[in-house]
Amino acid sequence: MRPNSVLISLMLVLLATWLGLDAVSVAANRIVPGEGVGVGGIAGWPGVLTSLMPMLAVLLLAWRPTGRHLRLALMLVILMLTALPLWLVVAAAATVDPSLPQARMAIGPAVWIAIFVLLLALIELRGRVPLPSWQNGLLYLLPLLSLALSLMLDLEPLALRQEYQVRKSAFLTAIGEHLLLVSAAVGISLSLGVGLAMAMRHWPRAQRFGFTLLNFLQTIPSLALFGLLLAPLAWLSDRYDWLAALGISGIGWAPALLALIAYSLLPMVRNTYVALEEVDPGVIDAARGMGMSRAQIFRQVRLPLGLPVILEGIRITTVQGIGLTAVAALIGAGGLGRFIFQGLGQAAMDLVLLGALPILIMALLADALLAALTEKIRPGGTH
Amino acid sequence: MQTAIRRPVRPTISHWLAPLVWLLLLLGACWGMSWLEPLFRLAEPDSRDIIYDRADFIVLLGRHLQVVGVAALLAIGIGVAAAIAVTRPAGRDFLPMVSQLASMGQTFPPVAVLALAVPVLGFGNLPVIVALLLYGLLPIVRNTLAGLESIDGGVAEAARGMGMTGGQRLWRVELPLAAPIILAGIRTSVTINIATAAIGSTVGASNLGDPIISGIVNGNIAYVLQGALLIGLLALSVDSLFARLQPGSPD
Amino acid sequence: MIELIQVSKRFGDALAVDDVSLSIERGELCVLIGTSGCGKSTTLRMINRLIEHSAGEIHLEGQPVREFREEVLRRRIGYAIQSTGLFPHWTVARNIGLVPGLLKWPRARIRERVEELMALLGLEVEEFADKYPSQLSGGQAQRVGVARALAADPDILLMDEPFGALDPITRESLQDELVRLQARLNKTIVFVTHDMDEALRLADRLVVMNHGRIIQQGHPLELLRRPADGFVESLLGGADRGLKEAALLPVSQRMTALDDAPLAEQRVSQQATLREALSIMLWRHADCLTVVDAADTPVGQLSLRQLVGAGDARAAAGRTDTDQAAG
Repeated sequence: MRPNSVLISLMLVLLATWLGLDAVSVAANRIVPGEGVGVGGIAGWPGVLTSLMPMLAVLLLAWRPTGRHLRLALMLVILMLTALPLWLVVAAAATVDPSLPQARMAIGPAVWIAIFVLLLALIELRGRVPLPSWQNGLLYLLPLLSLALSLMLDLEPLALRQEYQVRKSAFLTAIGEHLLLVSAAVGISLSLGVGLAMAMRHWPRAQRFGFTLLNFLQTIPSLALFGLLLAPLAWLSDRYDWLAALGISGIGWAPALLALIAYSLLPMVRNTYVALEEVDPGVIDAARGMGMSRAQIFRQVRLPLGLPVILEGIRITTVQGIGLTAVAALIGAGGLGRFIFQGLGQAAMDLVLLGALPILIMALLADALLAALTEKIRPGGTH
Repeated sequence: MQTAIRRPVRPTISHWLAPLVWLLLLLGACWGMSWLEPLFRLAEPDSRDIIYDRADFIVLLGRHLQVVGVAALLAIGIGVAAAIAVTRPAGRDFLPMVSQLASMGQTFPPVAVLALAVPVLGFGNLPVIVALLLYGLLPIVRNTLAGLESIDGGVAEAARGMGMTGGQRLWRVELPLAAPIILAGIRTSVTINIATAAIGSTVGASNLGDPIISGIVNGNIAYVLQGALLIGLLALSVDSLFARLQPGSPD
Repeated sequence: MIELIQVSKRFGDALAVDDVSLSIERGELCVLIGTSGCGKSTTLRMINRLIEHSAGEIHLEGQPVREFREEVLRRRIGYAIQSTGLFPHWTVARNIGLVPGLLKWPRARIRERVEELMALLGLEVEEFADKYPSQLSGGQAQRVGVARALAADPDILLMDEPFGALDPITRESLQDELVRLQARLNKTIVFVTHDMDEALRLADRLVVMNHGRIIQQGHPLELLRRPADGFVESLLGGADRGLKEAALLPVSQRMTALDDAPLAEQRVSQQATLREALSIMLWRHADCLTVVDAADTPVGQLSLRQLVGAGDARAAAGRTDTDQAAG
């Protein structure tokens, strides 16, 4: 049996970065730059050796990747992911001087890379170790539980957490705004998209023009589209008081929502159109041959076959919308992007993280949930 | 299975008309923005400064293109090479991980990638280039993989059975057949990168995003419009250029 | 000459080819036949090392194939497959010139060779040379595929169900073409098919495979007359066997000399098969035919009795017939 070269290279990278790069950086307050501390500086040699054990074990297991060995390696990878937050607690206790209330600890490159590499190892192992889905869910639960536990326990000095503590309510509002904007855009573009796709089916001539226009919109960079919407909206709200009363103005949620809808339309219309149009003609032919009416064919054949494709469109627009809404913070639409741009403005990197990490997690979650839903309703199971 | 295969088309001026028009509009807008002053005054009647003048538009355009170009060239080189490497027998082990990573990575919002590059690399052009490179890699890797895997089994088998070496198969059969799909990936990558680079002016890279950011900060809608106009034209020029390079695409 | 000596191929735990020994003479057209998954394609592909054998030895002109560099070996052996595998981005001419190009023939010689082959396979140079595979019909594409396999004038030709995807009429005309080509070029051909009519039509030697093993091999007539077991017999088509045998025998073999009796009205060529003669009898309600040569001169006669070989009980007795025994 050949060694699993993927796991071996991942573990070698992990070992090198874990030993070679800074694990955390510590600063006396928010203003001064942090000072890097390596793994050795936190727990001394015994600590370093302990942390190396699971990595070396995975390395050895990958040398002869039998089913049993890979399952063990998977457990070790989960163990390492679970141990990382707890290890940060230890690091905080070891490096941050408790007599300085302003002192803070930021997560360093070694830990970020460790998370990334371990997730890659997880992907690799999940592809090779068959597991029932409940066990699969449990796998991800363990590291998350440990993260929650560490945050409750004693991660006070973690800079990310401090940034959060300061703007707890602003953070929750931002998440709310973000989700609201994305779901409004997805909802509106879904109904518009279905309508447009139906119209295109009805007037084939409009189809080419429609897709050209939507492609054109999709090509324009987000910042530019937000900018181009500023002027007309400002002008409109100046002229019509009732618009202004609705809260529509050149900056704020209105241009953001409009732009988000504009971007969402292409994937939405394209997928709906494909869903309605490109059902296997043989199937439709058979349905008609059996004497199904148009309405029956639509309800019982086209819709169930097309629904997964439409859902795919919703997935694309949702994920895309979560990212674009972050940019919309620049024109005052709120959302998590605000923390990113505030943080960039103040050179406060942990504030940037406070905005960027939830956006990333939201995008991944939305993608995973909608993909799972699509898989679930796909008729005839997985293809 | 029957895919439309490109016949060699003789490139004519009219074939390149659309990108040429967009490009001329872009350059015209860069040099002749001040002529449009009366128009922009409508948007910002009370302001003294109507035309953004902290840097030449053409210089900003150059910097924008430079950042996107460097990132794109690196992304194409690394992305295509990586996809080729993991589809060769020696690298096959890495294929599942790389292809999953490439499709999962595309859920990452480009802004988040850009924002995360700053803590590591500081402000300026470097984090922008790195973020664009990393993000731009994904569609290229994914499409190159898709292109290489889409090659008809019979064709691949015949190439082997006729005694072509690995290199000959790659250069004469696999890459030419995958080229349209790879090109589509590069087009996606560059389009996203032009947009993301503009946001890069919030992290200290100077480019066509500058007038927009500065307009937002100073409440000058005319600046915003000028920046937006130029970025839009740039995106359309590049996109229509790719559309011409890539036959069979809708526009 | 190709020789397989106790060759086996293992995929994981499955034994795809099990201890196969086979020797194919120069100029022979050897057909491997069997149901799908019987290992016939695997056997073929081990000869040009598209699949490496796990045990045994394969020799080409006395030299083990493992001693060749893979590419060098394959360039010496023509290869044609069912899906044609024509490169969709190359013209017909370039596709045919592939192997000569790999062998670095001079340009002019390649062009000459391509034109020669296109003529040989009935493809108009002006019409087809610059077409792309997607513009060809199935039969035309397969002709190009065969031309490409022949391009570097290899001594050996491997054909993996090359006509399997074609309609019956095109398939038959290409089979005829192959017989005609083989008479002229005298290549060593290994041909894989699951179509027994095709196999009987083409084969000098028929090799029946099942579950990775060779069940029986020999001249088609030999197999028809003495199938080794029920599997071979069912493959040969049970009750149809008489007609299949008749299709392999020429009229000249059963005809008798002319006698004083008046010539029968219906005529048959002495090149025709017994099956064709029988068909004429059935159609014309005639029980005797006049056999003529190419110039339409009568050379003999064939009665229904002679055609069916009645009275030749010795030959019939030698035939195994598990069919009747089984009931």
